[in-house]
Amino acid sequence: MTTSEDFKDLFENAPCGYLTMAPDGRITRVNQTLCAWTGYACDDFAGKRVHQFLNMAGRIYFETHIAPLLRMQGFFNEFALDFLTAGGDRMPVIANAVEQRSDDGSLLSTRLVVIKAVDRRRYERELVEARALATESLKSERETADLREQFIAVLGHDLRNPLAAISAGARILQRSGALKDQKELRVLDMINTTVTRMSDLIDDILDFARGRLGGGITLNRDRRPLQPVLEQVVDELRTASPGRLIETSFEFTDPILCDGKRIGQLLSNLLGNALTHGSHDQPVRVGARTGNGIFELWVANAGNPIPESAMERLFEPFFRGDVRDSRQGLGLGLHIASQIARAHGGRIDVTSTPDETRFVFSMPLNQGNGGTSR
Amino acid sequence: MSVIERNNVHLQGSGDRAMVFAHGFGCDQNMWRFVAPEFEKDFRVVLFDHVGAGGSDLSAYDPRKYSTLSGYADDVVEIGNELSLKDAVFVGHSVSAMIGVLASLKAPGMFGRLVLVGPSARYIDEVGYVGGFSEKQIEELLEFLEDNHMGWSAAMAPTIMGNPDRPELGEELTNSFCRTDPEIAKAFARVTFKSDNRADLSKVSVPTLILQCKEDIIASMQVGEFVHRQIPGSEMVVLDATGHCPNLSAPKEVVSAMQTFV
Repeated sequence: MTTSEDFKDLFENAPCGYLTMAPDGRITRVNQTLCAWTGYACDDFAGKRVHQFLNMAGRIYFETHIAPLLRMQGFFNEFALDFLTAGGDRMPVIANAVEQRSDDGSLLSTRLVVIKAVDRRRYERELVEARALATESLKSERETADLREQFIAVLGHDLRNPLAAISAGARILQRSGALKDQKELRVLDMINTTVTRMSDLIDDILDFARGRLGGGITLNRDRRPLQPVLEQVVDELRTASPGRLIETSFEFTDPILCDGKRIGQLLSNLLGNALTHGSHDQPVRVGARTGNGIFELWVANAGNPIPESAMERLFEPFFRGDVRDSRQGLGLGLHIASQIARAHGGRIDVTSTPDETRFVFSMPLNQGNGGTSR
Repeated sequence: MSVIERNNVHLQGSGDRAMVFAHGFGCDQNMWRFVAPEFEKDFRVVLFDHVGAGGSDLSAYDPRKYSTLSGYADDVVEIGNELSLKDAVFVGHSVSAMIGVLASLKAPGMFGRLVLVGPSARYIDEVGYVGGFSEKQIEELLEFLEDNHMGWSAAMAPTIMGNPDRPELGEELTNSFCRTDPEIAKAFARVTFKSDNRADLSKVSVPTLILQCKEDIIASMQVGEFVHRQIPGSEMVVLDATGHCPNLSAPKEVVSAMQTFV
């Protein structure tokens, strides 16, 4: 067998289709492989234009992308086409094309290599469809989530108004002195306590909605002293939990750039949590200090440790552990505390042993212009 | 972002009159590379990319605005206003032929002459009208476009867009003349092939030249003749070229027919 016969055989029976076009786009040569794949006799190709063997989509694509690109850059690789076989079936292929040009740049011929790619093209189509489906469901998830959160925000606002009316009514009754009976006065106290609790619950819902509406919790930062804020929070909770001992130790050496109201809220949530879940006959300890470029605030209580299984879900919204007491909150306290920590570029760490359960909030003192640095 | 940046407008040549070249569906202003330079001696040559194509500002792509050819025509008028064009020549290839027709109706006086290369006022067949395509075939095209992403990936877009000068064809610039965000390509194909501008043709009042290829599956002879009949006083020149892009495959013929006309 001579070398030239080898090359002829290689051309005709290569595992890919060859097709050559004249400058006017008419086919001048095809190999046996392409003829066999398409089911046409090789003579059927001569003098025809390649788009006559493509489906309509392929024809348009050939004219609007492939032909112009070949003229502009001289080649085009890895494009998909669908040949139409003599039997009328689609034959998906991947093709490369290159122009032969003379020295003056004029077109001599265009060569096309065609690789049968039925499975690969089907696989790619499935990927495209899967992506479209994923995009679609993501979009619908987002819409639902947006709607849900807007609903919560609107609801929070609408719940405040009737509550304000109840509170105002109770105040009028209290001032008028019309109620003398002990039982009646107890009812009035109960109304006030319930209004406060309801108001706190609504605050939590709104914070939760705000945190989830994309922007997160917004801060009004300043360098005003934090200690009075923290002491006030502790005092409020002392009043609300008669008979419980709360020990404090504050050591502030540096000013802290933070949102005092929010840090107060964070402490209130952590301390409220400790009072609820901690041992009732042992003190709860609250501490805060600055040093080493860090502000730390901690709350520690004795009592049963937090179960391992609950540890990782502690900061998730609506997580309430084993507590099913209707007087408990919505399970948003720790979640909101963690959101406040995050907004300050800080974090909350928890350790829980049979001796002590301790929540530690820490944030860097030096925080650029509102940026977070850890 | 100015109109000039948004549409990647390039100005070349000098002359009292301007000649605006608009590319069609598929590629970008490079489609005019063999034709536009021939007019730089006598005309202020204006080249641009439609928003979504070539080096245009992709962030300016507004799906609603560009869901009609009228949105694209508004851009042409904005470019014309920015450059204070009067009595200019508009040269539109493929779908841009109709975009030019609409622009000339929106801004009388801006364009004094229209050159329509491979125009079609309606691609889809209807009773009593042959456009060349069925509705189903166009749907197939939209789907098929997803099979040819041409190396597009969102991560690469900044590289492509950051090279407005297009130095040498680097690896990452391969196919860039005809590469578009697949979503935009699909939307442009939809607005192109589903448009119907037959009713606008008779309103054209400026001298119009139609350049028709003798074998063009996108815009057949029949379709070109319809445009010719409907635009009062239009001229039609049938080029010896085959295919849909004579501006690339037979630039000499295109240039010479245009020179005679302008």
